[in-house]
Amino acid sequence: MILGDLLDAPVHDGAGRPLGFVVDVRLVLDGPVTGLLAAPRVHALLVSPRTGTSFLGYERTDVRSPALLARFLRWRHRGTFLVDWSDVAVATGDAVTLVDGYRRWSPAYPGRDRRRP
Amino acid sequence: MSPRLRRSARPFPDDEALPEAPRPAGLVLDARLHLLDRQTLDVDGRPVATVDDLELGAPGSTSLSGDDTVLVAALLSGPVLATRVFGGRPPSSRLHRIDWRHVTDVGTTVRLGVHGEELDVLWVERWVRDHVIGRIPGGRHDPG
Amino acid sequence: MKRLLGVALGILTAIGGFLDIGDLVTNAVVGSRFGLSLAWVVAVGVVGICLFAQMSGRVAAVSGRATFEIIRERLGPRAAGANLTASFLINLLTLTAEIGGIALALQLASSVEPRLWIPVAALAVWLVVWRAKFSIMENVTGLLGLTLVVFAVALFLLHPPWGELATQALQPTVPSQEGHASYWYYAIALFGAAMTPYEVFFFSSGAIEERWTVKDIGQSRLNVLVGFPFGGVLSVAIAACAAVVLLPRHVEVSSLSQIVLPVALAGGKLALAVVIVGIVAATMGAALETSLSSGYTLAQFFGWSWGKFRRPAQAARFHLTMIVGIVVATGVLMTSVDPIKVTEFSVVFSAVALPLTYLPILLVANDPEYMGEHVNGRATNAVALVYLVVILAASLAAIPLMIVTGAGS
Repeated sequence: MILGDLLDAPVHDGAGRPLGFVVDVRLVLDGPVTGLLAAPRVHALLVSPRTGTSFLGYERTDVRSPALLARFLRWRHRGTFLVDWSDVAVATGDAVTLVDGYRRWSPAYPGRDRRRP
Repeated sequence: MSPRLRRSARPFPDDEALPEAPRPAGLVLDARLHLLDRQTLDVDGRPVATVDDLELGAPGSTSLSGDDTVLVAALLSGPVLATRVFGGRPPSSRLHRIDWRHVTDVGTTVRLGVHGEELDVLWVERWVRDHVIGRIPGGRHDPG
Repeated sequence: MKRLLGVALGILTAIGGFLDIGDLVTNAVVGSRFGLSLAWVVAVGVVGICLFAQMSGRVAAVSGRATFEIIRERLGPRAAGANLTASFLINLLTLTAEIGGIALALQLASSVEPRLWIPVAALAVWLVVWRAKFSIMENVTGLLGLTLVVFAVALFLLHPPWGELATQALQPTVPSQEGHASYWYYAIALFGAAMTPYEVFFFSSGAIEERWTVKDIGQSRLNVLVGFPFGGVLSVAIAACAAVVLLPRHVEVSSLSQIVLPVALAGGKLALAVVIVGIVAATMGAALETSLSSGYTLAQFFGWSWGKFRRPAQAARFHLTMIVGIVVATGVLMTSVDPIKVTEFSVVFSAVALPLTYLPILLVANDPEYMGEHVNGRATNAVALVYLVVILAASLAAIPLMIVTGAGS
């Protein structure tokens, strides 16, 4: 599957209730090392009530300027949350279904660890 | 209008304070924010292509499960201008692969450890060089 | 001593490189119809271009990436694609106007028909883009373009009524024979001529070509903050010459010979020769910059190898783009379209495209991932936001005013 299929796919819980759309996929570089860097593993999905400008990332970081624009975009994407990949039942290009009892986390990006794996 | 949930259909309150997820060990990257549309440079620092998509899991798979460990196998590059603007995606045969094992660094650009000459994705550049630019006098010399 | 020469070279090149055919034509037209009552627009435009050129130069020096590349990465293909389409088409229009300007200036010098000069001019532009070193290209055209200071000299030699000129400039009113709509239409045209969109993309790509680092930010700031305002003064001098010579005689500016008439009247054949050299250099420099800009924006959007520092074989698609651009511009000009008219349209459409090109630069200059600690300060952001409002207003009003005034007639 390719990333483009997963992005903007609608997300439902086990009962079919719509929760939002996949706006990004959080990767962690802790897979097997085949070259110089470890392979990225799909760790979590970012779900937002709207697609659109979320690729700007203002709702995940604390970049505050330009002030008006940052506040507007953060407000636009309020309600974005993170869900672990292990809480996903099945993901296809048409929809992503979560398991019952999934947990929601803050979407904050943890920042770059300067140490390489 | 891009797809969105109506106000009344939002399942959770807007001003909720969610707990921070436990931080995983290893470099964390958000695919769309940090990898998509980034420039790839070869080992000499020459531009190769933009990252247009990522291959997740086995090539050709159409569904993934949360029980599986899904790895990014390759960077994908191809004619995606029209599809990114209007929707849809080109077939896999039109997307060139750059194996993840060639990637040596991810910063504001993605650096590769191989020469551009060895990659299929640069075939148009080589074609223009060999059949157009290379044939004009002075094309193969340094400027000045 | 060497450093001082380097600093001087940078500033002089910025002054000489500021003017292009758009500035020449628009300022002369405005001077001949409105006197100096639109001089304030030049001031506003110069501050704006200083602000945004400085921002994009800083982005390139700190991040090592050209502004348009970052626009594609941070704003995604849709926004960058819209930006690219607008920039590329305006660029092509401006390139057509500049090559036409070279041909018109050569016609003034030789009385040979411009249509015969157009292929010569286009070939010359391409040869320089193909083979010349970036810094040599910039320095030669910039220094030769400095001869346009002859407009300021001519103004003094004409013994103008200084008090009257000052009143017109400092207490602007719409002249009795012109309408308010025309006044604001030409204000927007003048604004577009001063804040040329291609300038910021060229500036940031040029910073990469010349391998600027954080240490070079100071020099670039000096070039911009001293050079561009001096260039603005020369623009106003062109308008003032037209105001003193053409306005009282109600001469409508429709050809290059009318634009240089004040200089010829003031200084005779020698001054005329000097101003022709200056116009050829300035339009040639601008033609080079617009062709390179078309290559830069397309190559940076698609992720191709680019840059004059690479041999053409290593940036094949980049050079092919520029060749196609020059050929298309030449084709359009060979249909005998009037380059002056093309210029007038190009400056207005530049004003229309400004928000698309400037808003992304503001976003990028604030991004800590690329800029580290060199992100915009609060003062810069405040002024930039004000300018964004002005740019948006000008862009929205341009087409309606163009329709209402019949493109200013």
